[in-house]
This record gives sequence, structure tokens and C-alpha cells, in this order.
Amino acid sequence: MNGSTIIFYLLAALTIVCGVLSVSTRQIFRAAIYLIFSLIGIAGIYFWLDYQFIAAVQVVVYVGGIVVLIIFSIFLTQQAGELLPKQKIGRKIFSVLAVFCGFALTMVQVYQHAFYENDGEAVKPVVANIGKQMLSTKQGGYALPFEVVSILLLAALVGCIVIAISKKEETA
Amino acid sequence: MWSFSHIADLLHEWLSKTFNPTFTLIIEMVLAGVAVIGLFAALGLVLVIMERKVSAWIQIRLGPNRVGPKGMFQSLADTLKLLVKEGMTPDGADKFLFNLAPFIAMIVAMLLMAPIAFANNFQFWDMNIGVLYISAISSISVISILMAGWASNNKYSLMGAMRSGAQIVSYELSAGLSVLSVVVLTGSLSLNDIIHSQENGWWIFKGHLPIWISFITFIIAVTAETNRAPFDLAEAESELTAGFHTEYSGMKFALFFLAEYVNVFIVCAIGATLFLGGWMPFHIGHLQAFNHVMDYIPSSVWFFGKTFFLIFVIMWFRWTFPRLRIDQLLNLEWKYLLPISMINLLLVTLMAIMGWHF
Amino acid sequence: MSIGKYIKDVFSGLWSLVVGLKRTLYYFTHHKEIITEQYPETKPVLPERFKGEVVMPHDEKNEHRCTGCTACELACPNGTIKVITKFDITPEGKKKKAIDKLVYRLELCTMCNLCIEACPSDAIKMAQTFEHSVYDRSQLNKVLNNPGSKIMDGVE
Repeated sequence: MNGSTIIFYLLAALTIVCGVLSVSTRQIFRAAIYLIFSLIGIAGIYFWLDYQFIAAVQVVVYVGGIVVLIIFSIFLTQQAGELLPKQKIGRKIFSVLAVFCGFALTMVQVYQHAFYENDGEAVKPVVANIGKQMLSTKQGGYALPFEVVSILLLAALVGCIVIAISKKEETA
Repeated sequence: MWSFSHIADLLHEWLSKTFNPTFTLIIEMVLAGVAVIGLFAALGLVLVIMERKVSAWIQIRLGPNRVGPKGMFQSLADTLKLLVKEGMTPDGADKFLFNLAPFIAMIVAMLLMAPIAFANNFQFWDMNIGVLYISAISSISVISILMAGWASNNKYSLMGAMRSGAQIVSYELSAGLSVLSVVVLTGSLSLNDIIHSQENGWWIFKGHLPIWISFITFIIAVTAETNRAPFDLAEAESELTAGFHTEYSGMKFALFFLAEYVNVFIVCAIGATLFLGGWMPFHIGHLQAFNHVMDYIPSSVWFFGKTFFLIFVIMWFRWTFPRLRIDQLLNLEWKYLLPISMINLLLVTLMAIMGWHF
Repeated sequence: MSIGKYIKDVFSGLWSLVVGLKRTLYYFTHHKEIITEQYPETKPVLPERFKGEVVMPHDEKNEHRCTGCTACELACPNGTIKVITKFDITPEGKKKKAIDKLVYRLELCTMCNLCIEACPSDAIKMAQTFEHSVYDRSQLNKVLNNPGSKIMDGVE
């Protein structure tokens, strides 16, 4: 076991422990904070794998964006410092089962998948290459997912405007 | 030549001769950590006395002038005072998060130091996504503020945290867009590449008007991101006592205080790297003699000189402008800075495609 | 909002910021403008009309100009001055009103200057002293006429 493996296990432990804590804590703000640490742990694993671009995007999108929005909605809606109600035992069992099924599915996939050595030259993760890959329509290009995601975002934006727009006939 | 990179090389050679590779790596990591902490302490001392002197001279006052020659040891005395003060935790606070928040603020500031090039060939980690890394990590810093505000169990703290969150989330956009304009011109996210692209002139000289616009946008946005006046609504003394750190005292308060100044240093270092050429000396066209004289000044002096110039500019803003209201703050971002920097980014892209820059 | 007004707003806003920055840079670079007075080391330069306390000037013969008319006591809005009179015997054998003590209570005084304006013989005036702090407030009750002083000749 060398230093690199130790670091991997530390990051994995951080991710899993914080993930479990975030669903088991009864204080909603703490749940959000544990979620952040879990996501940061995942970003750390990406850094460990030398996927720096993915890691940074993980931090920007999840930690800096989504969880901050979650925290905002907690601030604006929840009662400060009050404990969440205890869950029924049936629910607990059901969620543990759901988690186990998801885990089993993933593990089966991982073990059945034939990982093959990629002998091709790795693409250098510089901005120009990332940009070309993002807009490429050839094999392995990301143009279609990119466009699909942008349609999703556009729909979300239009939805926000529709919700936020003031209806004149009702207020008058 | 005793440059930083030379000293680092010598140290590395000596360590690898004496120890095996694993130990060398561990010792070097520890040394880097100690160096960063030492830099933080020094920055805290220097920037606090600088801020107090600058504010005093701008407001036609003398400033601290009792401790040491011309009051230069004032911040040392303040540090000692903060060290011996009792660190209180309020009764209704969420103790764990309350005590964690200042450390998060510090850790984020430390992580941000990684890709900064302090001198020629002297950088902790030259990653190829340096600029993206910085904008990613700096978005974590809002978490520490939200955490502190919530965990304090105090309405002023919560209000300060909310304001600061709204502010940082919105100003990150225009800061990112103005940084992108330099990335578009350079074609790389690596800070090292960005510095080397400015060998024949800093971007602020090469990039015509659009770069000036993005430089001004950048300065405004980072002033807002570091929660400094005129954008200090998060800690507005007159309305919220001290905002998110109202309940903090002693060393925990000192960590927040230090993190603020270190963040100012970091954003100014990034501004200096992107727009003012980092450690690149100042060169004028083909004046060989002048350029040689400029080359004799060590690269670290250039870097710290530019950074401290930008820090002075930000302090100058703080002591000149009155605080904005929250609606004015959001208007400035969403109605002015963001549209302008988007159009500006288009202009810069056009410029980069046509090759109009020098 | 028209696009022209928008651009005009941006430029006028920036210009106003530049004006402010120019002013503060001027102060930053011109240290002779500093108005702080380092008080215990250098005594402050007081304006001519600064009023610190009421005093009664005496000349070298230990004589003052107060006749004991109590005009100042009557003029004082908050009872700061108390004139205690006595009767001196003049060389001609007549009784003459004079002051025994002019008690001045600094803690009550608002430095309104009414007593000085009321005085018909210019016996009292405002001094520019300001270091009035004492350990006990009884020390703020002052007797303005020196012990053994008497009225100046020719002041009625």
C-alpha cells in the first residue's frame, strides 16, 4: 500500500462518511454541509485521478452552484435550528433497501464490464482540446449532449421567467 | 543569482540526495505548507498596517503611530492581543459548524495559493486549468460565510451571510467573464502559459480597449467577491454590527480577518497575473538598454510590486466610496457589469480571431 | 431605457468615481494636509472664540474689577455663579458693597457667555483652558477672586 492508495482511501472514506451523515443527520443545514464535503471528496478523487478539469467543474457546478442554492432555499424556508421529525422504521428500511439495490446494480455493472486498455494517445487536457471535443460532431464528440443540456437550461430559464413574471390582470 | 526558483532547486537536490523519494516528497509538502502559513502570517501583518495607514492618509489622519517606529508594529501588537483573547462560543450556536467555519475560510485561501506563480519558475502546482481551478475553489469560500452566519444563531449573522451569499454568487459571473477574456486571447487556462504569453507586453497594453473594460470589471467584481467596501454589505457595521462574524472572538475572529486579507492578496495576485503580466518585467518595444535594466529587477519583486499596487487600488476604493444598498449592488451586477462584460467578451473573441491584438 | 442613456449613465458613473478617487489620492499624497493634532505632545491651536471656563483677571497689585453687582448671577441660565457679598468700610467711614467670594461651578457651566456680556465692569472673561479633568467633582467648584484681593480703584 503506497501513499497514493492511502490518499484514495482517505478521500473515499470522506465521501462515504459525509454521504451517510448527510442523510442521517436531523439538522437540515448540517445535511447540506455534509453533502458539500461529500461532493468535495468526489472532486478530490477526480484530482487524484488527474482529471483536473472534471474536478474543477465538479466544484464549480455542485459545490459553488447547486449546494449554495440548496442552502439558500433552507435559509428562506426552514425554521432555524429545529430538528427534523424522526423517520418511521418502515421508511428507513425501504431507503436502506433502495440504496443497497442501487449499489448492487453499480457493482454488478462494474464487475461485468470488460475494461480494455486504451492504447491510443491520451488527449492533452488543454483548453483548445476541451473546446474542440465539446463542439465535435465526430466519434466521441460532445456536441449532442452539449446541445441537449443547453435546451434543458433554456427551458429552466424560460420556466423561471414565466413563474417570476407579474400577472397584471390579477394584481389590478 | 539567488532567485526563488534557484533556492527551491538547491533544496530539492539536497533533500533527494539525503532522503529517499517518498520522504523527500513528504518533507517538501511540509515545507510548502509551512511556507504558505508563514506567507499568510506575514501578509496579515503587512496588509493590516498598510490598510490602516492608507485609510488614515486618505482621511487626512495620521493612523497608528505609537507602537514601534511610525507605528509599524501595531499589527503585531493586535495579533498578540487576539491570540490571548478568549474564544467564545455562544450558547445557542451549532458548536461544530461554528468552530469549523473559520477553518474552512482559511483552507480555501490556502488552496487558492496553489497555482499562483510568485516568481519566474516558482509555483506550487502548474496545473493546466489554473484559472478554472481558482474560480472553482473561490466559490467554496461562500460556504464558510454561510456556515458562520447560520451556526452563530444570531439574526445579524444570518442576514450578513445571506447578503454575502447573494453578492458572491452574482459577482462571480462577471469576474469569471472578465477572466475569460484573457483566456480567450491566450488560448490556455494555465497561469504559467498566460504569463509567458505576455513576454512581449502585458495584456493591458496589448489588448486595446476591451481588455481595459474587462480589467475594470474584474477589479469591481473581485472587490465585491472579497466583501470589501463599497460592497461590504455582509458586515455592514452600521446595520449588522459585524455581519457573519458578529459572534466570533479571539483566534477564530482572527482567522476570518486574516482570510479576508489573504483573499484580497490572492485576487490581486490573479489580477496582476492575468492583466499585468505576473512576474514579467516591464519592457518597452525595442529599447534594449531599458529592457536590460528592467530584467535586472528580480521577478519576485515584479510580482509582489504589481500585486501590492492592485491591493492599494482596492484599499483606495474602500476608503473613497460609500457603501452600496443591496438593490444598488444587484442592479450594478445584473444591469451593468454582466451585460457589458458579455458584449466585451464577444469583442475580445472577435479581436482574437482577427488577430488585432499585438 | 434607451441605449444612449445607458451608455451615458455608465460613463457619468465612472467619471464620478474618478473624481472621488482623485480627491482621495490628493489627500493620500499630500501629508501636509493632515489635520490630526498629537495632543499631549503638541498643544492644540485653539480658535479665538473658544471658551473653556470663566476666570476673573487680577492685576499685579492683586486687584480685580468686580463690584459685586450680581448681574452675572442673574444672567446665568443654570445657576452656575453665586456671588457672596460683604460690606467693606471705606476710608471715609462709609459702608461699601464688595465681593467676599465669587463661586463658579464649572460642572454646571455651558459656556454660553451670557455672564460675560452681562458684566457692566468687564470683571470676568472666558479663558481658553480646557484640561478640566479632576479626581473629585468638589474640585470643580471654584472661587474666582484671589484670596485677599480687592476692587480696583475707579471701578464703580
